[in-house]
Amino acid sequence: MSTNSGAYGENDATDNKTTGTNENETATNASGDAANAAGGSMNASDHNANAAGGSADAGDSSANADAHNNSSVKAEDSAGSTDETLNAHVKGASGGKAGNGKKKGWIWAIIAAVVVVALIAAFVVIRNNQKASIAPAQVHTADSVTIGLKLAPTNLDIRNQSGSSLDQVLVGNVYEGLVARDSNNKVVPGLAKSWEKNADGTSYTFHLNRGMNFSNGDKLDASDVAWSINELMVKHYHDSESLMNFKSVMATDADTVKLDLTAPYANLLWELACRPGLVFDKNANYDMKTQAVGSGPYTVAKFVPNDSITLKANPKYWGEHKAVTPTIVLRYFGDDNAAVNALKSGDVQVLAPVTENLAEPFVKDSEHYRVAAGDDTDKYVLAMNSKGAKTSDVRVRQAIRYAIDHKQLIASRGGADKPLGGPIPSLDPGYQDLTGLYPHNVDKAKALMKEAGYTPDHPLELRLTYANTYGTELGDQLRSQLKPIDIDLKVNVVEFSTWLQDVLKNKDYDLSMVDHNESHDFSQWTQDTYYYNYSNQKVKDYYNQAMAASSDSQRDALLAKAARVVSEDAPADWLFNYRITTAMKNGVTGFPLNLNQTLLPLYNVRYMTPVK
Amino acid sequence: MRFVIRRFLLFVAALLAISVVIFAALRILPGDVASVMAGLNAPPERVEQLRSQMGLDRPLIVQYFTWMGGLLRGNFGTSLLTGRSISSTVAMRASVTFPLIVLGLVVALAIGLTLGVVATLATRPAVRSAFHFVAIVGGAIPALWGGLLLILLFGRGTGLLGILPSQGFPEAGWGSFGSALASLVLPALTVGIIDGASLMRYTRSALGDVMNSGYMDQAMACGYTRRQAALKVGLRLATPQLVSVVGLMFAGMITGVMVIENLFALPGIGAGLVTDLGNRDLIAVQSELFMLAAFFLFVGFLVDLLHRFLDPRLKHAVQGGAQ
Repeated sequence: MSTNSGAYGENDATDNKTTGTNENETATNASGDAANAAGGSMNASDHNANAAGGSADAGDSSANADAHNNSSVKAEDSAGSTDETLNAHVKGASGGKAGNGKKKGWIWAIIAAVVVVALIAAFVVIRNNQKASIAPAQVHTADSVTIGLKLAPTNLDIRNQSGSSLDQVLVGNVYEGLVARDSNNKVVPGLAKSWEKNADGTSYTFHLNRGMNFSNGDKLDASDVAWSINELMVKHYHDSESLMNFKSVMATDADTVKLDLTAPYANLLWELACRPGLVFDKNANYDMKTQAVGSGPYTVAKFVPNDSITLKANPKYWGEHKAVTPTIVLRYFGDDNAAVNALKSGDVQVLAPVTENLAEPFVKDSEHYRVAAGDDTDKYVLAMNSKGAKTSDVRVRQAIRYAIDHKQLIASRGGADKPLGGPIPSLDPGYQDLTGLYPHNVDKAKALMKEAGYTPDHPLELRLTYANTYGTELGDQLRSQLKPIDIDLKVNVVEFSTWLQDVLKNKDYDLSMVDHNESHDFSQWTQDTYYYNYSNQKVKDYYNQAMAASSDSQRDALLAKAARVVSEDAPADWLFNYRITTAMKNGVTGFPLNLNQTLLPLYNVRYMTPVK
Repeated sequence: MRFVIRRFLLFVAALLAISVVIFAALRILPGDVASVMAGLNAPPERVEQLRSQMGLDRPLIVQYFTWMGGLLRGNFGTSLLTGRSISSTVAMRASVTFPLIVLGLVVALAIGLTLGVVATLATRPAVRSAFHFVAIVGGAIPALWGGLLLILLFGRGTGLLGILPSQGFPEAGWGSFGSALASLVLPALTVGIIDGASLMRYTRSALGDVMNSGYMDQAMACGYTRRQAALKVGLRLATPQLVSVVGLMFAGMITGVMVIENLFALPGIGAGLVTDLGNRDLIAVQSELFMLAAFFLFVGFLVDLLHRFLDPRLKHAVQGGAQ
């Protein structure tokens, strides 16, 4: 595929060059002709000028030497052959209007240029069609697959830089964790092939695979694991705070790691499947912002910030997930239309995510494309400042929840997303369907608003502040949905950095909207200082009990209870659980659909060009 | 010579003033790179830790002089976010943007000068107003819309003709020269057609002024036809004016291509600046803006010099005025 597109590119370029030259030549010729014709017509029509032509020799200082010579030569020529030029002009004049003789040259030049361009375009189109029709009749597995993504990492420093785009590219592909997670968000073996915990859940022992190594050839053993986790905790790297109750970690021998906690923590294994569990080479010395040395099936061959990342299969890879495709290029598109164009033109073979409404043409063209949606943990949270001047009134918050028509919101986005009535999505522990708590009911909402003192004559003015990465449509829809219940919503779409400052840090907002895509992030609702300004002791108690639970089922039940309390309090409305729509060329296999914005294992991705 | 020195000092003073404005303006923006790096769930202590690691907690005046000190030594600094040297990042982005605007300028010149001259020479009122209309409409096309139209016409995979790539820059950069050039054709056409239309109006008005001057009568008295006079004398006389316009257009294109680069997914200066600003990578943004401003001013400086070189009357006028 890449060879093909390269060839196209070169052809295009050559064609363009040719066009340019032709145009130039035509233009030059034409202008020469025009000048000649003009000379002729001048001779015929203006005898005075002709007579004065001789005096041009006397020297017009403003004309350059060449022009001067030419004109004097022409003047001599025409002086010598007045009859011929006169005849020529008469011929020209008899063919059309005398006055337009001058313009003809230009017009013909333009027409000629247009014809040349059209001919070249037609030639290219016909040749391309021919190329397509004589495609080889066998299956070809591409050496390189290009994947179009949306949010680009600005650097590769997974220990310091936030953002799911880094997890998406690096976790599991370049860096590997002590344990891993699968497409259903469950913990599976990673660098550790097995583990056990003690009875009270405060000590974990991990047994590592043997013969592991990093892409630079260094051996990977228990000392690297212990060093990586210790560094994380000591240097407070990103997400270190999620390893709660951490006490110590040590390598008991080359293949065994022991991790101790001060108190049980039910999410520990899952957290270790994310950034906190990643294992780095303690002996390697490299700039983590621009390079990556990991143990995964791929290495980073080239990284252009905000534009693309090229991954090459790691020849020294130790494990079972050996890369199927030698080169994977990840390209980032800030603009949705640009992304769709790239898939249509074959510049990328997969697009994840694609805006559902924009995916329409691919859905229709099932002969060439496949479109599918996968589950994810993205929660579009409409936060309502629990300590805000107007939103601290629970009746207002409840009214907003009743007034929002989630079905309509989801339908307007294409219909793939799922309704979500509370803080826990279906792929996370503790999920239960809470959509029945605040069903769409405008009358109830109006009654609550009236009770809170707002009427059509005295509407409630609220600000909705959110980052411009989410577009303007959602804000517009919310404004129109809240209007009937006497809320005058001012939508304030700001830059992400501004949002971080005003909303996240200063909590200066009424309503805000964020796609909280992190998984296992319920603890947000237990932190009084978080931007929600939400505080409920019952929730904290349930959560703490859940984290100390000895079994997963016990943990899940407690989380579900906590989630119900949060949802009842209405500190937010959960607009929907975003589902990722992925569009790909037929022939692409092994591309994960679930969770692919945070977890994108690429080792099994393959692109076979369809048989003609 | 005195003019050159005086003009150069003005250039340096303007640069200094701009550096202060850029630095101050960026500090007023809410949000910082540390909070972007730390993310939504980070505890405040972590944000503070990152801030001090990056030196963002130092006094502003210290930050300014550190930055300026670097600039004077030719060191534009290191991006806080990407960890790369800013000059090399800008150089990489410029390798996309510069060829793009040069191509765009070629297109604009080809369209603007040719049509401008034709429009001036056209004698029939209908033709003249047709050109006038084209110039106004062409100049009024929003770049985004114009680019989309071109994509719909020529874009590979999307367009009617489907002959040109409309998205991105090749992985190998200018290493694969053909593809790199091809990927710049549509963006350059977008820039060129729109700027060409404005240039056409300038050409027409500049040339028109000259055509009505005594120089033309003189030239025609010397035996030139109207057309010859326009091409050989008129254009030359209008050149200084056009050089100013083209110079400013060239400088303006650098900032103007932001929209185009985003539309065609090109990793150029404009698109990069937007991202860096969004991430509050202030050291990168301030250096990038400074380089753009320097470039803008430098083009102005060159235009002034060129102007004087092309139109010796200015020299006398200045000297006359000084005496």
